[in-house]
Amino acid sequence: MTKLLNKPSLFEKYTPYLLILPALTYLLFFIGIPIAQAIYLAFTEKGAFSTENLDYLLNSPFSMFKEALKYTFLLAITIIPIQVAIALGLAMLFNIKFPGRNAALYLVILPLTISDVAAGLIWYSMLSSYGFLNKLLINMGLISQPIYFFGYQYRNMEFLAIVLTEVWRATAIVFVILFAGLQMISQEHIEAAEVFGANVWQRLRYIVFPMLLPSLQAALIIRTLFALQIFGVVWILAGRDIPVLAGEAYYEQVFLKHTGVAAIYALIIAGISVAVGALYIKLFKAKYLEAGT
Amino acid sequence: MSEALTKLQALIIAIIVIAAIGGGVAWYYMQQPKGVKIIWASTQLVPAQEQAFVKDTLLKEFTEETGIEVEFVPISYEDLATRLQSEEEAGKVTISVIGELHGGIDYFASQGWLEDLSKFGTLPDRTFPQVLEDYSRLHGIKAYIPWMTATYVMVVNKKAFDYLPEGLTEDDVIHGTSKWTYDALLAWAKKLYEETGGPKLGFPAGPNGLFVRFLHGYLYPAFTGAQVKNFNSDDAVALWEYLKNLWQYVHPSSTTWDAMADPLLKEEVWIAWDHTARIKDAIVQKPDQFVVVPVPAGPKGRGFILVIAGLAIPKGAPDQDAAWKLIEYLTRPETQVKVLENVGFFPTVKEASAKITSGPLKVLADGVNNQLNTPDALVALIPSLGAKGGDFKNVYITAFQRIVLNNEDIKTVLDELAPQLLSLFEETGAPLPPPDSMSG
Amino acid sequence: MMPHEEYSIVRYYLNKIVIAGLVTIAILWVITPFVIAIAYAFTDPDQYYSISVVFPTSFTADHVKMLLALGADKAIMNSIIVAVLTIIFSFALGLPAGYAFARYTFKGKDSLKLFIIGLRMFPIMVIAVPLVTLYLRLGLNDTLLGVALAHTSMALPFVILITSSIIAGIPKELEEAAMVFGLDRKGAFIHVTMPLALPGLTAAAIFTFLMSWNEVFIASVLTLTNRTLTAFILNTAMAAVDFIKFAGAFIIIFPAMIFVFIARRYLISMWGITLR
Repeated sequence: MTKLLNKPSLFEKYTPYLLILPALTYLLFFIGIPIAQAIYLAFTEKGAFSTENLDYLLNSPFSMFKEALKYTFLLAITIIPIQVAIALGLAMLFNIKFPGRNAALYLVILPLTISDVAAGLIWYSMLSSYGFLNKLLINMGLISQPIYFFGYQYRNMEFLAIVLTEVWRATAIVFVILFAGLQMISQEHIEAAEVFGANVWQRLRYIVFPMLLPSLQAALIIRTLFALQIFGVVWILAGRDIPVLAGEAYYEQVFLKHTGVAAIYALIIAGISVAVGALYIKLFKAKYLEAGT
Repeated sequence: MSEALTKLQALIIAIIVIAAIGGGVAWYYMQQPKGVKIIWASTQLVPAQEQAFVKDTLLKEFTEETGIEVEFVPISYEDLATRLQSEEEAGKVTISVIGELHGGIDYFASQGWLEDLSKFGTLPDRTFPQVLEDYSRLHGIKAYIPWMTATYVMVVNKKAFDYLPEGLTEDDVIHGTSKWTYDALLAWAKKLYEETGGPKLGFPAGPNGLFVRFLHGYLYPAFTGAQVKNFNSDDAVALWEYLKNLWQYVHPSSTTWDAMADPLLKEEVWIAWDHTARIKDAIVQKPDQFVVVPVPAGPKGRGFILVIAGLAIPKGAPDQDAAWKLIEYLTRPETQVKVLENVGFFPTVKEASAKITSGPLKVLADGVNNQLNTPDALVALIPSLGAKGGDFKNVYITAFQRIVLNNEDIKTVLDELAPQLLSLFEETGAPLPPPDSMSG
Repeated sequence: MMPHEEYSIVRYYLNKIVIAGLVTIAILWVITPFVIAIAYAFTDPDQYYSISVVFPTSFTADHVKMLLALGADKAIMNSIIVAVLTIIFSFALGLPAGYAFARYTFKGKDSLKLFIIGLRMFPIMVIAVPLVTLYLRLGLNDTLLGVALAHTSMALPFVILITSSIIAGIPKELEEAAMVFGLDRKGAFIHVTMPLALPGLTAAAIFTFLMSWNEVFIASVLTLTNRTLTAFILNTAMAAVDFIKFAGAFIIIFPAMIFVFIARRYLISMWGITLR
């Protein structure tokens, strides 16, 4: 690597820090202070250290913490593999040149525009007992009574509705990342493999996947972090029939005014996020984070 | 251009700017003392549309008529209580009129922060129902003037009347006779379920729904005679057994519904219970399709919640005459009809009903009126627990989830939750709400 | 060439049909809910509530007009102001930091980068609630500036990472050449690197815009009268009937769709650059 200047002056030496300082200060102020405050709220009561909030979380008959933890993980491990599989398939499909590809591409990434609340609303009305889907099936004579997707007795169907909505809404971001990664793998590599007689599966296994790994890692990190914070879609489609961590934080904060308990929920989500992020980085050897060096 | 000139120019510009600012400020202050300006702090009509109605219509007309400027300050109960306390303690009151629910005013009056409104005499040309007159006298003073009311009622799609159970007539339901009971509702819901092939009764039991009010303000008074006191009594066990029974015929999506207007309009359900404001849209869309009816009665009476908002004047408030004029204006029959039309709160003066002649609002107002005038009416008020209000609701919601949805043992759940419920009242020092405080 | 030509022609067309079929399924899956939501935003209520009408035929603009009259017009302006402020703040702070990460090697670089990503992992909810207290003290409560500052903290880590990748993707040699010809570092950056980075930065800005535009939790907690569009819709239309909700969804989606349309190509290449 060529050095920019022969001998960096003292000022030059500190330039990168000076350039980063404003952003870092800002983040520490607007994220660091709230986090410190959240920790304070979670573990104090009237100014003294207290585990009362933790107690409530784990032992109160009103707390749905364990169920929320269960459902958050269940949703994440159901939704993410489906999204990655679909996105991967779509990315390969769109890597083939066909007429109208650009227009199709725009349509497929449209869900990038939509917020979780709007997506939840749209799917709730599509699947409600006299919503679009049921109206369609009834009028086609396929069913006589509506299919129920919502309600405590139908929690499995609610779970399905959440999965459908999340797959519809958030597969686009996985697709965009994987597609971008795929486009950068030079066609020459693949052609060379073809010349040497590699079949489709071998080409995928030994050429495409290894080169796609950084994209996959980025997509997985982004999706997992957001999946752990899942809230809007669940709140609209299932209410508290299916409790999730962020939803319980919201409920404790807004409905019950238990700020300390809400803060613990938030800290738990943050803790799991950091752990999962670190795990991914280890697994994928942190190539993504070294980008740009 | 020489430097000196620039300096001179700068000086001139500076002088002009300072003069302009000074002049502007002086002009601004000269505009001020033209009329009286009072502050009206309200915990009601806070949503954006409602605020817009208050500022752009209601208060504009008042100012045109009287020349009194009113600054409408939407505020939460907690903020209002804190602010009032500090103002009263400092002896420097800025708020002239308070708009709050019965429970909050009850607390303010108990602290001695309110003027006795009887010193202003009576308001002409309007009569308040006796129940409102009684409730507005608190802690030895006339604490507030009843301003608006709201309640929760049942809405029936007229189609459902074709499936009435044996011994119940349409008239029984509409006028809330002694035959319109919870047992009759169960029989009706069952018949509807069996003969139409699906559940036709619904409740707003979603995360933002108000179903919890049905539990503590309707079923509890009707079955146990009180909202809180008899939480885990034998009567309460009978209540939950009834609800479990009824729930077989309740639309399963109920646990995701926040408001019943849409399920009614889509005919997902034919009978629904909800807050008047949340079914209004259904009735406005199809006024001929729906009837608003009183709720059924239980063994202890026809329990229902009456939400009362009142207007009060803080002790030592400035411009009290202007404040009284505002109260007079807000309780005029024609103003109250306007409030009903725009924000859906019901009048507190009898003369207002006569001014609504037809249309969807008439359907609503009739239903509310019929409910208020049933002979076995057992009015419940929402307790004022401030920040603990959420915990209060959570007790009843948790009981519902565990008993009805999760099928846990009734007595065990109730015994476990009862101390939690009572501790809320002990911690806050709030009185038990009516009807608990009425009966012995 | 292959020996069995007819076979390969059949295969060729079969391939085409399979591709066309798969693309059609993907597109239908994605756009059907959009089409339905937009159609319902303009559907006559009678048809919307009729069980026998699946595809509406009678339309009205009343619902959207009503929402606009209720204050959605002001909320749209608020949302745009907040989003633009967010872009300005997050780029003013993020661009220098991104440049530093891309062009300098220095001690603690990787840990700093990891730390910044780590900050982004904290859920929005932790930030929003204590922010209210902080804002009440600073007098920023219920102001658009306050929302924009909070959105900036949400977008900044993302902007730093993206800009550093984009700048790293532009050969350093170009900048050095410019410096040889007498430009200083700042000049070289402005005249050489910036123009080359512009398409990627535009995409990043649009992404930031969408992030702010769709953010609802912070905006609802921090504002009362100065609602942004999503907060306004959540707090005003949620209690309303279905077709008003659809009208609300339409008002939120439509501008976003246009932005994605303009930036569709850059949005993908932006991720490509980031991953290089």
